[in-house]
Amino acid sequence: MPETLGSPTSLRLSAPASAAPPPPRRRRPFRDNPLLLLLGILALIGVLSFTMTLANRSSGLAPDFLSEFVLYSLSVVDLTMLVALVFVLARSVIKLLVERKRGLPFARFRAKLVTVLLAMTLVPAVLVLLVGSQLIFNSVDRWFNAPMDEILDSAQRIASDYYHDRQRQVSGEASRLARSLAAADLASPDVRLLRDAIAPPVSGQQLTLVEVYRVQRGPEAETRVVPVVDVASASMSAVANRASSDRLATRAAGGQPDVWIREPLEGGGELIRAAAVVRKADGAAVGVVVATVHLTGELALRARRMTKAYESYTQLKVLKRPLTGVYLSFFLMVTLMVLVSATWMGLYLAKRITRPVQLLAAAAREIGAGHFEHRVERETADEFGSLVDAFNTMADELATSRLQLDRSTIDLQQKHAEVEERRRFTEAVLDRVATGVITIDARGRIGTVNPAAVRLLGLGATVIGQPASAVFGHGDLLPLSTLATATYAPGKEWPAQEIALVRDGREVQLAVAATPLQADGGPLEGRVLVLDDITPLIRAQKVAAWREVARRLAHEIKNPLTPIQLSAQRLQRQFAAAPDHVRAFVDECTGTIVGEVDSLKALVDEFSQFARMPAPRRVPTDLHDVLLGTLALYDGLFQSVKIETLFAVSLPRVRLDPDQIRRVVINLLDNAIEAFNQRGQIVVETHHDAGSGVVRIVIADDGPGIAAEERDKLFMPYFSTKKRGSGLGLAIVRRIVAEHGGTVEAGPNEPRGSRFTIELPCESREGGTEGTAP
Amino acid sequence: MTSLRLLAIVLAAVALDAGTSGEVQVSTLVRDGRVYVSSTLTDGVIEELDEAIQSGLTTTFTYETELRRPVSIWFDRVLATATVSAAVQFDTLTGRYQLSRSVDGRIEDSKVSDDKAAVKRFVTAFERLPLFGTADLEPNVEYYVRVRVRTRPRVTWFFWPWDRGSATGFARFTFIP
Repeated sequence: MPETLGSPTSLRLSAPASAAPPPPRRRRPFRDNPLLLLLGILALIGVLSFTMTLANRSSGLAPDFLSEFVLYSLSVVDLTMLVALVFVLARSVIKLLVERKRGLPFARFRAKLVTVLLAMTLVPAVLVLLVGSQLIFNSVDRWFNAPMDEILDSAQRIASDYYHDRQRQVSGEASRLARSLAAADLASPDVRLLRDAIAPPVSGQQLTLVEVYRVQRGPEAETRVVPVVDVASASMSAVANRASSDRLATRAAGGQPDVWIREPLEGGGELIRAAAVVRKADGAAVGVVVATVHLTGELALRARRMTKAYESYTQLKVLKRPLTGVYLSFFLMVTLMVLVSATWMGLYLAKRITRPVQLLAAAAREIGAGHFEHRVERETADEFGSLVDAFNTMADELATSRLQLDRSTIDLQQKHAEVEERRRFTEAVLDRVATGVITIDARGRIGTVNPAAVRLLGLGATVIGQPASAVFGHGDLLPLSTLATATYAPGKEWPAQEIALVRDGREVQLAVAATPLQADGGPLEGRVLVLDDITPLIRAQKVAAWREVARRLAHEIKNPLTPIQLSAQRLQRQFAAAPDHVRAFVDECTGTIVGEVDSLKALVDEFSQFARMPAPRRVPTDLHDVLLGTLALYDGLFQSVKIETLFAVSLPRVRLDPDQIRRVVINLLDNAIEAFNQRGQIVVETHHDAGSGVVRIVIADDGPGIAAEERDKLFMPYFSTKKRGSGLGLAIVRRIVAEHGGTVEAGPNEPRGSRFTIELPCESREGGTEGTAP
Repeated sequence: MTSLRLLAIVLAAVALDAGTSGEVQVSTLVRDGRVYVSSTLTDGVIEELDEAIQSGLTTTFTYETELRRPVSIWFDRVLATATVSAAVQFDTLTGRYQLSRSVDGRIEDSKVSDDKAAVKRFVTAFERLPLFGTADLEPNVEYYVRVRVRTRPRVTWFFWPWDRGSATGFARFTFIP
């Protein structure tokens, strides 16, 4: 296969589209980008891992953190995925509906595939969600059941009562000490009495620390406390926090009732502090006693743990709904994630499966529409890729075949054009030639008939395709049938034949020759009949023969006439002196002889003239001048003859011999006048046929006319319908006209009479003579 | 049955979270170049959160206060914002409440109380806090203060992203220097 023909590259290069700039590179869709797909899968795995980790550690997270941050995040994720799922589903449904409405291929298949995959995923996912939700509800309800409430509530009450007892004990000690210090001078620098007063509870281990403050009034009557003295146990020195005691004292000095605090220590244990105001007898506050006890025992520790457990339980109970929501959101998120993934995967698989087939179908339509340069881009290396390769190969071969076909078509068109041109030329030649041509195929049916043949044979256009035997099998065309159907041996000369036909009252002589259509050594494909109108030739031969007869006749007859006439005149002179009756007899006889001899001389002169008619001396002449000059000879000559002229507005000059044309016109006018016995009307017309290049002279009379069978014989020598006359007048007319290169025809006039038409070639405007030269 | 229950829970959670469970009564006082704002949250909210408070969870009442100027046929223009937070934590062991109030993150008040009524007043109301200045206000123009209350922790099943807050109130005033 030639590269120039078969290469798809050459086809693409030859396509107009190849000249256009390349289209912008289209961004690869997400589904066809392996890197993005991998990143997406990794992101999904990451989210799932984070979710699993969060779920595993959910028990260790603070409940309010779970109810705030986690629940909020999960809710947002759930709503986002729900919106994404609805969007993906709605988009897919709308897209599938539109595709089905447009009748795109595989729309129904894609819809079914997505529906099946979604249903296969949706049912188990929703079932898992419902069952899991029920399990969560049941589990949460079981967590916060009534026995657990009672246990933890009782434990918390025990711890609370213990702390309240200790708080009341400390508060009581603080109040007792405050009352005991009512009479003491807290402003005294000697604090030994004060120390002695507050030391017994510490030494008796009822209290761990006792601090005494003095109340002072500032310039703006604000209350301040100033530490005076404190007594602490040995274990208290490491954990003492003066600032806490100062704040408590300040609050007590400020008038707040029942002032006490619980202060957890970093190293374990707790302090319970209580403050009591030292008042004078008049009720004025002069100081504050802050009593502290350090709880370090196992009981306090367990009480603290019980309180913590109670708080955790009650907080979980308060956050029961958010926690349930967290777990439900986890389930919902996983379910939605599965559904979104299943939906997207279904769409992806459906598109992955149907897209190559859709591309192939679209490409097939394109190629079917004649776009052979269309190709399908190979997107995968699987079986679909092989299918695409096979399709592209087929498209290449189709394009190559199409290219060859196009070139063959162009060649055929060129050859057809040449043949058509040749055919038109042949038809034009056949149309223009005067020779009739008829082709007959091998089956004897007429193939073509040129206009000359139609005109000569009087055929119609319907004869084409008809059997020649049927067309020529009747009347005077019968000889043609013989030529058309006769069988001739190869190598034998095909004969010619002359036939005479009568067309429009005229006898037409045709020379017909049959020629075989046969290639070299091939079978006979038909035959051609060639018809030549030899009527003018026959006429010329007859005229020539008659001229020879006339010349000989004139020569042989004219010579003895003069002696005869002289002898008769001599007899007449000899008998001049004879008696009257003799002389009268002789005169009568000799007169008759002389008269008849004169008549014979005139006849012989006319014959001589016909035989020796001179060649015309043609000069450019105004035909109207010749006609008007000739018609002027008849002015007033015949009373009952009316000659009317209908001349053309303008005629070109005609090269003619004026004397001979004048003789032609006189001859025709004399015949007309004689035909209607000097009583009638003659119309002389002139016309110019620029298309044929002739001027036409028509001389029409309203006489008795000429029989149709005699019209053609009129122009033969010695043929006359008159009782007298030589019969050479119209023969001379035809000869003169013929020697001018023209024709003369006789026909019927309407409504009656005869109509002679003379056609003479006329000069062109440039001065040349149109038509054939004589 | 389970699906109906799940649906009812979701709808109830959305309604509870998005709905208004109380009202805020707001009053303003313009004096000495400051706009003093008082706010009182009506009953209902504190009762809903009482169980959370009693469990020892730190419960926060956040009052998002905005000074706004009305704009016709468009959104009102926010001139200034201030956030007042009141937090309460109950010590289940001692039965006392630790209270604190902050304005734009600054601690303004802190105390301990075992009086439940006082705790309720502390977290549901604040009196004449000078939250905004009047330097940018135009004389004889009407303004209003809008207070929107949010509470923490949430005790709903589900979070609705477009939370409108627990309660909203506003008070109009015309600035006359």
